[in-house]
Amino acid sequence: MNLKQEILLIEDERNICNFIMTTLRTQDYKVTFAGTAASGLSLAASGCPDLILLDLGLPDMDGLDVIRNIREWSNLPIIVISARTQEQEKVDALDAGADDYITKPFGTSELMARIRTALRRSALNNMSAFAENRYEAANLIIDYEKHIVTVDGKIIHFTQIEYKILTFLARNAGKVITYDTLITHVWGPFADSNNRILRVNMANIRRKMEKNPADPQYIFTEIGIGYRMIDNENL
Amino acid sequence: MSTAIRNCVVTISGLVAATLLAFLFFYYVPENSGNIALIYILALITVVRFTDGYLPGLISSVVAVICVNFLFTYPYFELNFTLSGYPITFLEMLGVTLLTSTMTASIKTQARTIAEKDKLLAETEKEKMRANLLRAVSHDLRTPLTGIIGASSSYLENTTLLPEEDKIAIITHIHEDANWLLNMVENLLAVTRIYNQSTTVKKTDESVEEIVSAAIIRLKKRLPEAAVNVSVPEELLIIPMDAILIEQVLINLLENAITHSQSREPVLCYVDDDAETVIFHVRDYGVGIDPDRLNNIFDGNSYIGNKESDSNKGMGIGLSICKTILTAHGGTINARNHVQGAEFYFTLPKGETQNES
Repeated sequence: MNLKQEILLIEDERNICNFIMTTLRTQDYKVTFAGTAASGLSLAASGCPDLILLDLGLPDMDGLDVIRNIREWSNLPIIVISARTQEQEKVDALDAGADDYITKPFGTSELMARIRTALRRSALNNMSAFAENRYEAANLIIDYEKHIVTVDGKIIHFTQIEYKILTFLARNAGKVITYDTLITHVWGPFADSNNRILRVNMANIRRKMEKNPADPQYIFTEIGIGYRMIDNENL
Repeated sequence: MSTAIRNCVVTISGLVAATLLAFLFFYYVPENSGNIALIYILALITVVRFTDGYLPGLISSVVAVICVNFLFTYPYFELNFTLSGYPITFLEMLGVTLLTSTMTASIKTQARTIAEKDKLLAETEKEKMRANLLRAVSHDLRTPLTGIIGASSSYLENTTLLPEEDKIAIITHIHEDANWLLNMVENLLAVTRIYNQSTTVKKTDESVEEIVSAAIIRLKKRLPEAAVNVSVPEELLIIPMDAILIEQVLINLLENAITHSQSREPVLCYVDDDAETVIFHVRDYGVGIDPDRLNNIFDGNSYIGNKESDSNKGMGIGLSICKTILTAHGGTINARNHVQGAEFYFTLPKGETQNES
C-alpha cells in the first residue's frame, strides 16, 4: 500500500474546482485546493505536493509568474489548465517551465491520463535522468543504445535528424513538446525558428512509421503548439 | 500640411523637368519650337494629375507661359509680351490647365465615393452576417439549454423516485447537450477570431496532414464511435492558413456528416492537390441533402423554412461559420450530392510559399 499522492489545485472557479476535486478523490489522490495564486504559492511551499494543477486565469497573479516562481525552487510537475483558442498562452506556459497543459473543457479520463504521465515522468527523473534504454509503445520499439527503431518487428531506417527528433519525443513521451523546444534540441539554439523544416522531417518520419500519416498512432500534432508522442502507460 | 508640401514638390519638379527637356529640344532641334509649348503642356497636365486643388495648376501655367516667353522665344532671356498671338498662347495654356484640373478633381472625387461605397457595402455585409449569426445562435442555443435545464431539474426533483437507469439516461442527455453547446461556443469563438482581425485571418504555414489528423482526434474525443476513413496525398502539402479555424471547419463538416447522414458507413475525408489550391473533401454515404436546401445551405438560416423536417439542431450555423472562415481565407466551400450521399468540399489557396519546395 503506497502513500496517497498529493495534488495541489490552484483554480478560482468554484464549480470547476468541485468537479476536479471529486474526480481526483475518487481516483485515490489527496487534493488540496487554493483559490488564489498567493495562497497556492504558499501551499506549494509548505505542503510539498507531488503535482500542481494550475489555472492560468487567476485573479491575483499572472499564471506565468506563478510557474516561474515555483520553478525557482522546485522541479515538481505542473500541469496548466487553459482555454482552447489561446495557443500562445499555452506555449508561453510550457516555455516558462510547465510540464504539460490540458484544455478546458476536458473529460476526467484525459485529466487522469495527464496526471499519471506527469507523475511517472517526475518519478523517473528523480531516480536518474534518462535511465531508460528503450522506449516501447503499441508496436513501436526504440532501442536507444543500439539506435534501432522497429515497428511490428520491422527495422525502420531514419536519417540522423529524424532519429534525433524521434528519440527526443520518445524520451518525453506523453508530454507535449513545443516546436521551439524541439528545434532548439535538434538544430541548436541558433536555428531558424521557422518550423517548416521540422514539418518536413515530421512528415518523413510519419511516412516511415505510421500506416496512415493522416491518422497517426504514435506522434500527434497539437496545433499551434507542438508534438506529443504516445505514452506507454505500462512502463 | 503634407499635401501642401507634396503639391509644391510635384509642381516644382514638374516644371524643372519640363524646362530641362525643353532646353534639350531647343538645343538639338531649334527649328521646331512648337515642341517646347507641347512639353510644357504635358508637364502641366502631369502636375495637375498628381496634385490636389487648382492652385498648383494655375501657378504652373503662369510659370510655363513666362518660361516659354523668357527662355525660348526671341528675344531670349527677356520678357516680351508684345509678340503677335502671344496672349492666345497664354490663354490656351491657362485653358488646358483649368480643364484638366477640373477633370482630374472630379475623377478623384468619384474614386473616393466609390471606395467609400465599397467600404460601406462590406460593412453592411458584415453586419448582415453578424445579425444572421446572432439569430441562428439564439435559436440554436435555446434547444440544448432547455434540455439541460429540464433534465437536471427533473433529476433534482425526483432523486428518490427515479430508478438508477433513468438517472443515467438523464445525465447522459445532459452530457450530450453540454457537449453540443461546447461545439457551438467553439464555433462562435472561431468567428470572433476572424472579426478581431478585421475579416482577414492571420495565416501561418501549416502541414495539411497535421491539420486533418488533429481534427479527427478532436472529433473522436467528442464522438468516440465516429468512423472516418482518411487519406492525404503522398507529397507533403504546406499551405498558409489559420490552423485552428480550418480544424474547426473540418470538425464541423465531419460532425455534420456523421450526425445527419443517417448512415453507419464510415465518412470519407480526403485531400486533393490541385495546381493553385488544395481541396478537402468530406463525403458521407447516407441520405444526401435535400436539393431545395443545397443553394442556401451555407446561409445560416436554411433551417427556418423546414423546421419540421430537420429537427436536428445547429447544422445551419456550423456551415455558415465554415463559409465565413473560408471566405476569410480566400477559399471556397461547396456542397453537392453524389450517388450515395452528400459531399462537402472546400478549397484553400496555396499561396506563394509552395513554390520553394
